[in-house]
Amino acid sequence: MANTENQHNFDNLWSDVCHLFPILSHEKHEYLAQESPHDDLTTMQAIVSAGQEELVEQLVLTEVESQLRNNIVPVFWQRFSVLDGRTQSLDPFKDAVDCLYESLASIVPILQSLVLLRQTAQTERQVCGQSSLLETFKVMVRASLHSQLPLNYQAITEDFYRISFKVFCNSENKDAEQNESTEDIFQCAGCGQEVELCQCQSIINAFHETNGKLQELDLLERLAGDVLTTLIHRRIESHVQETCKGSFDVPHIGSLEGWLDTVVMGWLSRIYSSGSFGFRESENKSTVSSVETLSKMKQTLRYFLYETYTRTRIDQLFNIIIEYPDSEPAVEDLRICLQKIDLRQHLTQKLQRALETRLLHPGVNTPDILTAYVAAIRALRTLDPSGVLLDTVTQPVRQYLRWRDDTVRCVVTSLTEEGPSDLAEELSRGEALQLDDLTPSEEDTKNWESWNPDPVDADPSKTSQSRRTSDIISMLVNVYGSKDLFVNEYRTLLADRLLSSLNYNTEKEIRYLELLKLRFGESQLHYCEVMLKDIYDSKRINTHLHSDTNFNLDNQEFAITAMILSAQFWPQFNKETLELPEFVQEHLDTYTKAFETLKGNRTLCWKPQLGSVNLDIELKDRKVNFTVSPIHATIIWHFQTKNQWTIEELSQIMHAPATLVRRKITYWLSQGLLHEIAPDTFELVEESGPRVKGHIPADIVCDDEETESAMASAQEQREEDLQVFWNYIVGMLTNLDSMSLERILQMLKMFALQGPTTIEVSLQELRHFLDRKVAEEKLLFYGGVYRLPKS
Amino acid sequence: MKVTIKSWTGVATWRWVANDDTCGICRLAFDGCCPDCKLPGDDCPLVWGQCSHCFHIHCIMKWLNSQPVHHQCPMCRQEWKFKE
Ligand SMILES: [Zn+2]
Ligand SMILES: [Zn+2]
Ligand SMILES: [Zn+2]
Repeated sequence: MANTENQHNFDNLWSDVCHLFPILSHEKHEYLAQESPHDDLTTMQAIVSAGQEELVEQLVLTEVESQLRNNIVPVFWQRFSVLDGRTQSLDPFKDAVDCLYESLASIVPILQSLVLLRQTAQTERQVCGQSSLLETFKVMVRASLHSQLPLNYQAITEDFYRISFKVFCNSENKDAEQNESTEDIFQCAGCGQEVELCQCQSIINAFHETNGKLQELDLLERLAGDVLTTLIHRRIESHVQETCKGSFDVPHIGSLEGWLDTVVMGWLSRIYSSGSFGFRESENKSTVSSVETLSKMKQTLRYFLYETYTRTRIDQLFNIIIEYPDSEPAVEDLRICLQKIDLRQHLTQKLQRALETRLLHPGVNTPDILTAYVAAIRALRTLDPSGVLLDTVTQPVRQYLRWRDDTVRCVVTSLTEEGPSDLAEELSRGEALQLDDLTPSEEDTKNWESWNPDPVDADPSKTSQSRRTSDIISMLVNVYGSKDLFVNEYRTLLADRLLSSLNYNTEKEIRYLELLKLRFGESQLHYCEVMLKDIYDSKRINTHLHSDTNFNLDNQEFAITAMILSAQFWPQFNKETLELPEFVQEHLDTYTKAFETLKGNRTLCWKPQLGSVNLDIELKDRKVNFTVSPIHATIIWHFQTKNQWTIEELSQIMHAPATLVRRKITYWLSQGLLHEIAPDTFELVEESGPRVKGHIPADIVCDDEETESAMASAQEQREEDLQVFWNYIVGMLTNLDSMSLERILQMLKMFALQGPTTIEVSLQELRHFLDRKVAEEKLLFYGGVYRLPKS
Repeated sequence: MKVTIKSWTGVATWRWVANDDTCGICRLAFDGCCPDCKLPGDDCPLVWGQCSHCFHIHCIMKWLNSQPVHHQCPMCRQEWKFKE
């Protein structure tokens, strides 16, 4: 009887409970249609007095969860997998979020009833680790969403944020940037629609609405966090790339930071601050947390920005260096960034690799390497005043320059070059040379209080003093570590210049010498001073001898002037011999006698192969004036007595090596005065005839070939001899494809050196010769072997 | 063909006409200069003695000044007399 009573009561109570929580009923309509005899509060009190409030809550939450799992979440995720590929619309994501929001909002009344039930029972409990039922619900939502996460849900999310970000950027930049191409005027840069149909405002509205909903549901981070991060990172990368394109002469770090703070952070803060807080406990809590989230994001993004910018600049560093000092703003940016982010190691590696691939190979000529090295010294000095970076990065450059044998000459040439050159400019700063010196200077110990430790990547074998050497010329000299080498090279160069110009005008050279003396010290350059004085004195002696009729110089058939040198102070002259025509020798002897008379107890030794001759050549049909070297003059002179000569004959009569005569005679061939009638046999062309008519410009001053060094010509002659081997080498490489240096030498010794020419060749010499061929692109060198370039 | 030389600029080195290459006192080249000089030639000339030995003028002067009593040629020990 009691059982029936109980059963009846229970049925009534259950029916009331189902009315209160329709979700529990599987036949919803029945209870909903029925008018309940009790109001909600009575039902709750009944539940509490029956001690069943916990059970009811559990039942309701189970149902809610199954609703989530079986209906709401699957429907939500389904919207993400419908489309594959990209959309150009916000709609899919927006619709999905709207639908989710609506479905979840429909649960809210149930939760409110549960809250009321707890209040009635005056109990507090934790479900899913949350004491608030709303939070419990959110945990369930997140769990359900997560458990059913489809594979490609990010595509639609990304579209949503990508499109809105574009619109946002556009609206931010509208005033700052004008449309770049006329095409864009008809098209909104934000939404891509025609300007009249611009969707930007509605996109922004939809964007805020959707973010607001996600924020309320605490789903923003979960659903969009990764996508946002990826998107922003990509945006930063492309923005940095775009910014760094082209010139290095504008600083960017400030404008990049500004861009991040206004555009990116502006966008993010709009995302995180939207929402109407329908799902929120309190407004304060969420504001605090979103401010926190934002500031944390800002910090992370800033570092990301610095890193991206730094890496981009490091990739460009070689070009930045080449353009220094125009690129100073870029260098300065990099300097600031390196203080924030430690990418020194990366920089060192990258730059060294760039230097190696773009600079340190035989295809680049030495002056270019030097120019780059000087630019690197300057740029890296700005980048890292401690000098450590410079020291480490340029180590391979120095090593390479040491290996090249024309380095000193190139340095000296550009030091004293006319016109603007970096080194000449450095030279005119007139500082004393600072050479590597491992003993600590007095200054080091005196300024101990301002001492700073070297960075960790510093080479401990060098003092910081020597590393901080700021002087470029000193750094170049230090490539060799010896002043003498430089001074000697300068002396040779000066000798060449004085003897090739032959114009007694030493003003400019004296000026350079004064500058060099400041650098290298007086005593080192004393020889050069005497050389310049020789030229100056020669001029005076010439004037004197020619003005005094006692010396009989003016009765001569042609005027002789002389450069009279103090042999002890000049570099060694080459040992080429040359027998001048008797007629000429007589004139020289007259001059010598005049000199002996003037100077008493002193005489002259002529260097017959040096100097310059001005002569008229009269042929049957023409008269031409030439300025040539003595050997050229001698060759053509002999064709007066006989109009056909062989190299052998000329070589004998001139006491000059056949190779030299052969080389020099080509000048007259090129002028059309001689032609080769048989190998090594030449004939005078008395009448130019139609073949060469019009090809002979009058008053030719020999150029290029004739400016060759009087000092180094022996080496050049050597080069000429090696040229003989070139055909052999080409032949070998055609047959064997590729060969090492040693192998080439071995083969040459076996075959080429067996012939009538008995030229010895060293490995070193051959290497230089082949390297020159590589530089001329007639040969390739990689992987330790030489090849012919594919034609 | 007729070749007419209009002018000729030649290059020569000068040297002292002496029976030796180096100064017997300082052992440096006659064509250079004595240890006290910077510039050769006119600024540091040679002188000959009647014994036909020759020296940098600065070298022999220094030598003679260091010989308080008898002025002798440092090479042959004959009495030093400048050749006229
Ligand atoms: Zn002497
Ligand atoms: Zn002297
Ligand atoms: Zn004597």
